Amino acid sequence: MAEISEEPPNPIPPQPQPQPQHTHQPSESTIRKAKPGLKRLTLTLSVLVSFIFAFPFLYKSVEIHRAPLPFREIDSLSSQIGSSNNHPSLSFPCHFQAIFVNFNNSNAETLEPLIFDELTKLTSNATSQCSTLSVKLVNSGPIWSLIGAVDFGGDDESVDEALAGVLGGEKVYSVVVVKGESEEVKGVVGKNRHGWVVGRVSEVEAAERVAEMFVKVFVNGGKEEGFIHGEFMPVGADGRIVLSFNLLNSNPHDWVYDWDFQAIDDTLLAPIIKALGPVANISVESQVLYHTPKSSFSFWDDKRKGYIFSTKDLPFFVNSNEWHLDTSIAAGGRSKILQFVVYVPSAKECPLLLQLPNGEISKTNGFISPMWGGVIVWNPQGCLMDSESQHPIRQTISHQDLQKVFEVFMGQFRQLFGLKSDNLYFGSSGTYSLLASEKGFSEWELDFLARRHTCFNLHSCATTLGSLSRLVQSLPRMIIMDEIGKQVKYSLEAANLAQRNASLGLYDASAVSSRQARSLAEDAFFHPSIMSVSYYSFEHCFAVYSPFFLPVSMHVLLAALREWRRYKIENRKYLAWKAEVKNNS
Amino acid sequence: MAHLPRRTHSILLILSIQICFSTIFAVFGSVFQEEFSEELLLKPLPDRKVLAHFHFETTAPPLSTSHGRHHHLFPKAIAQLVRKFHVKEMELSFTQGRWNYDRWGGFDPISSSNAKPPGVELWAVFDVPKDQVDASWKNLTHTLSGLFCASINFLESSTTYSAHEWGFHPSSGGLRYGTLPREAVCTENLTPWLKLLPCRDKAGLSALLDRPSIYRGFYHSQRLHLTSSEFHSSGVESGIVLEQALTVVLQHNSHKMSKTFSSETKLQPSWSLSSIFGRKVTGRCVLAKTSNVYLQLERGLVTELENLQKDNMITGPDHVGSGGLKDNPGFELSVRPEKIFNEVNSLHRKSSSVLYEYSIERYSVFEPFDLGLTWKFPVVWSCPQAPLHSSRFLMGSGNQRGTIAISFISTGLEEGFLSANIGEESCKLQADIFQVVPWYIKVYYHTLRVFVDGQPEAITNVVEKMHVSPSEDKVSPGVMELVLKFPCAVKSAALTLEFDKGFLHIDEYPPDANQGFDIPSAVIIFPNFQTSMHYLEDNSSNKSPMLSKFQEKSPVLSYTEVLLVPLTTPDFSMPYNVITITCTVFALYFGSLLNVLRRRVGEEERILKNSASKKAGRLPQLLSRLSAKLRGKEWEPPQSPSTSSSFISSKLILKVLIVAGVAVFWQYYSE
Repeated sequence: MAEISEEPPNPIPPQPQPQPQHTHQPSESTIRKAKPGLKRLTLTLSVLVSFIFAFPFLYKSVEIHRAPLPFREIDSLSSQIGSSNNHPSLSFPCHFQAIFVNFNNSNAETLEPLIFDELTKLTSNATSQCSTLSVKLVNSGPIWSLIGAVDFGGDDESVDEALAGVLGGEKVYSVVVVKGESEEVKGVVGKNRHGWVVGRVSEVEAAERVAEMFVKVFVNGGKEEGFIHGEFMPVGADGRIVLSFNLLNSNPHDWVYDWDFQAIDDTLLAPIIKALGPVANISVESQVLYHTPKSSFSFWDDKRKGYIFSTKDLPFFVNSNEWHLDTSIAAGGRSKILQFVVYVPSAKECPLLLQLPNGEISKTNGFISPMWGGVIVWNPQGCLMDSESQHPIRQTISHQDLQKVFEVFMGQFRQLFGLKSDNLYFGSSGTYSLLASEKGFSEWELDFLARRHTCFNLHSCATTLGSLSRLVQSLPRMIIMDEIGKQVKYSLEAANLAQRNASLGLYDASAVSSRQARSLAEDAFFHPSIMSVSYYSFEHCFAVYSPFFLPVSMHVLLAALREWRRYKIENRKYLAWKAEVKNNS
Repeated sequence: MAHLPRRTHSILLILSIQICFSTIFAVFGSVFQEEFSEELLLKPLPDRKVLAHFHFETTAPPLSTSHGRHHHLFPKAIAQLVRKFHVKEMELSFTQGRWNYDRWGGFDPISSSNAKPPGVELWAVFDVPKDQVDASWKNLTHTLSGLFCASINFLESSTTYSAHEWGFHPSSGGLRYGTLPREAVCTENLTPWLKLLPCRDKAGLSALLDRPSIYRGFYHSQRLHLTSSEFHSSGVESGIVLEQALTVVLQHNSHKMSKTFSSETKLQPSWSLSSIFGRKVTGRCVLAKTSNVYLQLERGLVTELENLQKDNMITGPDHVGSGGLKDNPGFELSVRPEKIFNEVNSLHRKSSSVLYEYSIERYSVFEPFDLGLTWKFPVVWSCPQAPLHSSRFLMGSGNQRGTIAISFISTGLEEGFLSANIGEESCKLQADIFQVVPWYIKVYYHTLRVFVDGQPEAITNVVEKMHVSPSEDKVSPGVMELVLKFPCAVKSAALTLEFDKGFLHIDEYPPDANQGFDIPSAVIIFPNFQTSMHYLEDNSSNKSPMLSKFQEKSPVLSYTEVLLVPLTTPDFSMPYNVITITCTVFALYFGSLLNVLRRRVGEEERILKNSASKKAGRLPQLLSRLSAKLRGKEWEPPQSPSTSSSFISSKLILKVLIVAGVAVFWQYYSE
């Protein structure tokens, strides 16, 4: 049957005039009396057209479900947040007030431009989170008169408390400059958002100090430049930190130490965790491990009466084979776990001392590793072993010792967050002592952390969403679940909220919502449906559909082509006949 | 006001005292209540092998006293797991090899609670509302899989685990049970298991675990069992008890054995700790509360040794002592035991098993503990057996049907015991069967047939209670729980069940589909027979956790073999073949339809008529043209008009034939 249809169209004129069948004699078969029919041509053409039109529908039907992602908004967020972490375009308003006591009133006009000059000098070369600085000089009013009543001669703690009573409650950073009698100029930064300078200071010097306290301490957290980089932010992608405390008994045959961690947790850690609430959700757990030797060597030093390990051994100190500092099951998948290790050396390496590069012995006897945690070597008192008894009893580390260890921990924890571990700040205009809060972090430090975390979180959120959008756009056949679209949407909303809060000066709220934005962005990026083999390639699609569409399209195209050709030939014949008839007539 | 305070005073006093006590208790509790103990039980087996059973137990105080986040001895990971998934009880076992119930015993606490099916077995009871149990189970399997470096996460799929009623472990609904018979067990599973011990394998008894020697053994089963009573609303709170047991059956180095074989075949090989493990105990784990090694001699062995002693008494009468086996003639121990316990057994008047205790507290690196046992006389004995020896096998051939058969053979050893145990006229022997079958083995439960002593028996006579939840394709496995009651005098019994093999979806085949599929072991429980070994101990305060575990009454339990069922495996390129052939058929259909639509019948007929009036039909014409070409001659159109009619008829016949062929084809294949 097929061969009949496939044979070349034989134009047969209806007249009974005998003629050879073959087309090599076209001159004789070019006559047609009837108008060629359009039935078959329209049929084949309509099939072809319907095929062509159905193709988009088919393509739509085999299309993979992709939730629409707001690419434009992601791009706009990325451009807003800025590409580099070092130059965030995010702006926080910061308000300062400087209070001058015992200065003459006439100096107010001269002081204000001085301070502004100093501020612009300091902020021009350093990166700062606060873009809008508003400074207010207080020379009179109720606060001023109250300040006058504060006795600046007392010790720092009492002055701080008194100032807190006067200035407390407001989110304004204040510096009180008191012109005193003493030659020595003392600068102190309190636990809340204020500091004071007491001493014989000139106006220029006072302005310098005030500006430095504003910019270097209150705004930049008093940290040394380039100490720990911004990308080392010890908060997990879901905004959680697990503090895992480990007491390692290097060799329990010598002595076994235990601790009463519960007491520490209740008394010392709880306020810190509460204070850091806006920055991270912190949980604490502890364990005691045994048979955990360190993997670096130490040598005996006769002069210091101890075993010395130096800073260049530190990369090898943590023995990951024997120290089973497990990841926590209680923590979620993307929480950050900070390991804090108290290492009790064995009898044959006791006391174990850390030697600093300058040859001195470290006072803390500990070190940190950014993003991992910290290690403290705790030497048992006297390093005395009960030689007569083979089996040591379990001893508990005394509360005083534990407290000391925890002070070091606190310093390490602050360092991991990029803050100073000691309470002195050496500025260009002088030394400032920073009062330590019993919460571990003072108010202005918490502000600083909240600002920094907001910046970091928003930046990380923007980069994550940006790479997600790039990935999604580069793989056009990747399945994207609705859930991902929703997460991206919420993440963008949270990021916008964080930006709005930041511009209003609500540090804590913006830190919380930026954390949310980041965790949602990470959730979207690491969604299991993206991680799994969800890439349905175009080649696969082609392989599945080509066995049908290739032969069928051949048929349809050829049929349409043939019918069209035949119609043209027939039409030409008909026209020729018509012309002949006309000529004949 | 004066008369009031007296009573309040006393109340206050009591209160304050209580508070004092409770705080003291809490302080001591939180620090010192986490305990750890390590024990090792050694037992010579009748077939020249040695059983070593390590038992480690760690306990954590309940949450109310410790706040649950701070641990001193108890592994943090396990405590977090219990708290996160609300696990009430859980048992996980990794086993390699099969416990030989004939030779190694089937009626003692070790065989019924430590002999496990090959591969991984996990069951857990959750203390969560019923609708959350499955979610908890899934999370638990993933966590355990990460914790123990095993593919326990395959138990997540609902086709692999079962929730049963009463067959295996009585519980109130929150229990899930799953096995992976094909899981290979090796040192990567042992290391995380050891990591849960405070001393790991650095010190104490676990230091004996030399990997090459324990994996060279005949049987190896590591088990982790934990019970927590934290979520009980009522009752005594005992916190979390983590029990880790490792059971290995070893034979000491074979090159020595060949020598003993040559000299004296009957003599049991002498062994020592260093010869079977390749290591010695160099001291205890300092954190362990108790750290003991036990040597257990079975009833049968003790009876044999007593007989030997009697013989000796006849030859040498100076050995008349009431010391029992203290200086027995059958064997010699390299280390003198510190204590000897005799089993308290009212049922066996003949003899009872003996336990030697060694405390390894006084041993150290300089004076290692190396217990050795040297046989002096050949002794032959047998282990106590379960009342019925059970085995399971497949019958039938081919890829379509088959039969599962479970056969019981009476061990005969306990007959006297049986009659003594029940002492009734209608003496019945109860056996519970719990079996999980994957869904692709479609068991027809109505085909259950029971044979007792080779004779078919009505099901109602034997099956006391039956609970079946049939499998659902790709959703859940089939679970069968049966309570059987055989007459006590039964010699053998068998159960058969027929099944069809199902087809899996192409995605569901494992990578090595041609190897076959495993049916997990069935569990056979004899609830009327309790294993408990009670040793006469002095009333010392520190009771050994292992011995108290042995004292617990638990029913005799045994596992049957794992069955391997070959299923038909498809050609795995099938989907593409199917796609291709379907598409081709569609394309053919479409193309021919289009051609038919385009056909000009009238025109063709006219051509035909024309050509018929002039020359022959096309087909003979073509043929002749072809033959002319082949012959290399000039083609001449034949002139005879008679061929046309024959051509038309042949074409018609051809069409009819094609249609008939299609019809036949269709008829044949549509059936």
